[in-house]
Amino acid sequence: MCRHVAPVGHVTHNESVTPHGIALVASMQRQGTLTWTPSALQVLYAEPDGGNCRAHCVTDQPLPAAIAAIRAEVAAEGLAPSEVSQVNDQILSNQSIFGSYKPTSVQGEWGLFVGDAGFNLSSSTMQAALQLLSICGIEAVPVGCGLDSGFIPCSLGYPDTARMQAKLCIDEIQRVGVKKLLVLSPQDLFAFGQMYEERLGVTWPDEVVLIDLVEFMADRVQAEHYKGAISTEKTNDFIAYVDPTHAVRLPARLDAARTLCKVALGVAPMELFWRRERAHPVGSTAIQFTRPDIGIKLTESRIQDAMDQGAQALLCDDPATLHELHLRNQSPMRVQGLYELLIEQLGKK
Amino acid sequence: MNLTGLQPEMIRSELTEIVGDSYVSTDDSDRLVYSTDWFWLPQMWLDRGEVPRKPDYIVRPKNAEEVSAILKIANSYRIPVIPWGGGSGSQGGALPVFGGIILDTKRMNRILEIDEKSLTVTAEAGINGKQLEWAVNEKGLMLPHYPASANCATLGGYLAPRGTGTISNKYGKAEDLVLRMQVVLPDGHILRTPIVPQHASGPDFYRLFLGAEGTFGVITEATMQLDYLPECRLLRAVLFDDLTNALEAGRQIMTRRLDPFVIRLYDPRSTASRVKKILGYELEGAYMVLGFDGDEEIAILQERKAMEIIGQFGAQDLGREPGEAWWNHRYDFYYPPQSLKLPWMYGTTETVTTYDKIEKLYFAEKKAVEEGYKEWDVDFIGHFSHWFHWGVMVYTRFIIQNPPDDAREAVRLHNRIWNTAMTAVLENGGMVNEHHGVGLKLSRFMRRQYGDAWPLLERIKKTLDPNGIMNPGKVGFGH
Ligand SMILES: Cc1cc2nc3c(=O)[nH]c(=O)nc-3n(C[C@H](O)[C@H](O)[C@H](O)COP(=O)(O)OP(=O)(O)OC[C@H]3O[C@@H](n4cnc5c(N)ncnc54)[C@H](O)[C@@H]3O)c2cc1C
Repeated sequence: MCRHVAPVGHVTHNESVTPHGIALVASMQRQGTLTWTPSALQVLYAEPDGGNCRAHCVTDQPLPAAIAAIRAEVAAEGLAPSEVSQVNDQILSNQSIFGSYKPTSVQGEWGLFVGDAGFNLSSSTMQAALQLLSICGIEAVPVGCGLDSGFIPCSLGYPDTARMQAKLCIDEIQRVGVKKLLVLSPQDLFAFGQMYEERLGVTWPDEVVLIDLVEFMADRVQAEHYKGAISTEKTNDFIAYVDPTHAVRLPARLDAARTLCKVALGVAPMELFWRRERAHPVGSTAIQFTRPDIGIKLTESRIQDAMDQGAQALLCDDPATLHELHLRNQSPMRVQGLYELLIEQLGKK
Repeated sequence: MNLTGLQPEMIRSELTEIVGDSYVSTDDSDRLVYSTDWFWLPQMWLDRGEVPRKPDYIVRPKNAEEVSAILKIANSYRIPVIPWGGGSGSQGGALPVFGGIILDTKRMNRILEIDEKSLTVTAEAGINGKQLEWAVNEKGLMLPHYPASANCATLGGYLAPRGTGTISNKYGKAEDLVLRMQVVLPDGHILRTPIVPQHASGPDFYRLFLGAEGTFGVITEATMQLDYLPECRLLRAVLFDDLTNALEAGRQIMTRRLDPFVIRLYDPRSTASRVKKILGYELEGAYMVLGFDGDEEIAILQERKAMEIIGQFGAQDLGREPGEAWWNHRYDFYYPPQSLKLPWMYGTTETVTTYDKIEKLYFAEKKAVEEGYKEWDVDFIGHFSHWFHWGVMVYTRFIIQNPPDDAREAVRLHNRIWNTAMTAVLENGGMVNEHHGVGLKLSRFMRRQYGDAWPLLERIKKTLDPNGIMNPGKVGFGH
């Protein structure tokens, strides 16, 4: 009953790959009326775990978690498709899916959790974020550089791998002595703040405060940290903000991101149809590995949404979302990092 | 429909030619998902480990031309075509009871025009109801058809079974909001109905497709009437000692044209059970929610006049909060964890008749079901929720918490209860349905409902669909 916001249903128009369809397939499998044939498995791995169905659930059923649990059963029986098990194998050997993990030994009270995509796919975002923090007097230690937070293996049905990743994350954060952890990516913030407890039974350390970087930066700009430093020139371009994958799971960031955009642009950003509480993900969740065909459609559909609104540029703060948009954008519209733009505006002054 | 040998592959290849490979599916999991809508019977059947009839193909056309081509193929192979919107229908209307092609309309989901002057929207029929609502809301407008299933239903699915939404009292049923449609006839001919529905230029043939539930063709596009989003919505609740007074108060509010957008009246049993469970109010009597909207000054005046009528019947004014709580939680009644769920047996026998008959009908049906199925400890609850100038709809439900475990026995008991309920409805001047439609569930009551007029409908069906390909087994056709 979350079909109105089910992003995969929206791009495929197929009942079977909505959470409702997936739940039905899974329960039929339990009943013995359906076996895990390759086509049934295609259905099972078509859910992006982007949070939409939960955010709009009229039935209050934690379906994404239930789907992850079914995937875990499938994986435990050795039935997971090879493209799925390969992702797990790679994380087991590299702790990273997009490149490599570089643990840090620097100490610091403030940390910036960079994550896998932030380090290996879109490092300019990380650099810009660190620079912005530095301007407001915070020397944050980059942690988790290239480290998967556990979201991807957990979502794909490998909770043991996910727990190992969680342990690596928490160990590094504690080793560095971080007490205030800014998180660059909504995916990692969701993992730390919700998924660990709900799906993995991992408790986040009490002494480490989790902070969404977007919210933190929005507070700082409002507290006039950057007063006079950022160019106040208003943009004449039509620039839209795209809420990143998982944004619907973190409602507090929705306004914060727009506050930052307004500072960077001098005007409020244009809004997409699939925005804020109903924002759709791009293919930057685990779906990019399991059903790349759908992942691409999800990203293309965000680009189309922006084009339909007449946007000339598309802004986002999340490295993984930005990477996907860059990869798939074949339109004349620019894709730009929000933190990078803020740094550019600082440079203009 | 038994397709053998080369035939299934021949048909598949022809369908693929039309819509492309990724929009034709014969996967077992897809076929299983499309084997059930929201009708209790197939859901129970699946829940008990049985497999309902599956479609042979699921096809997703992108426009009327593709729909037309699919129907031509279905005619040449004599295979059924079942239009499928959101699959949220509760009557089994979208079930592929004889196999064939499920024609999923959801790829036809574009909004073609929002006319802010005439206040209309033209959209393709597969658009999701909630998405359409969001899009018109961006312009300060609303499509005033608010069914509890808007999240999953489509525009075509609103129209095909003649649905009714929560605010229908003032704004009308889905069928009252449609100006124009594009329809693909069973032989593949594409037509558009005239530009407006109210005229004196010949008969209203467009109405044939409203309520036909896909048996007369596929609706591919519709132009719908919009309204401005109301400046205010005033809600309040009142409590009557008994149903008789409450029904009379509701009748007077409607016949004096005070224009409430909602009057929802729960019978004492529903007040004690559902209202208590969902809204948390412990009340004895008949709970009524009243709503007025639009221009605030007018709404206040209408509400005051309505409350004067209510006062004459000795009802207690419970104030705004319980009315607003109902509005905010109105859909919780239909969704888990509060909704009825398997393995329980339940059915919604909603009907409509004129004011002079409604009370008698309600009590007759209640008595027949309660007395007829005492040994099953049947619960019978109801509310009156779609009010017209001439009468009202009563939404009654039977609930059995411990139905037979055996799926076949459960089917028999289910159908017996429906026979009892529908007999009471028909004998007391009711229609077999007011808004969920007929589907498979009520198909067998259509002849009794229409009597002498039934052959006319059969003749129309035969003329439009000589091969009987469109949604066979539904709305009384194709048995
Ligand atoms: C929780 C819940 C609450 C509900 N609340 C309401 C309510 O408040 N009001 C109400 O009216 N109904 C309600 N319903 C019933 C149902 O949701 C509606 O009838 C809905 O409008 C059906 O739309 P759909 O797109 O899901 O149609 P489907 O279930 O897919 O189809 C319904 C019928 O219409 C036919 N059909 C679908 N699309 C087309 C088309 N384009 N052309 C021709 N035929 C077509 C199908 O073949 C089938 O016979 C509710 C159902 C549920 C599950």
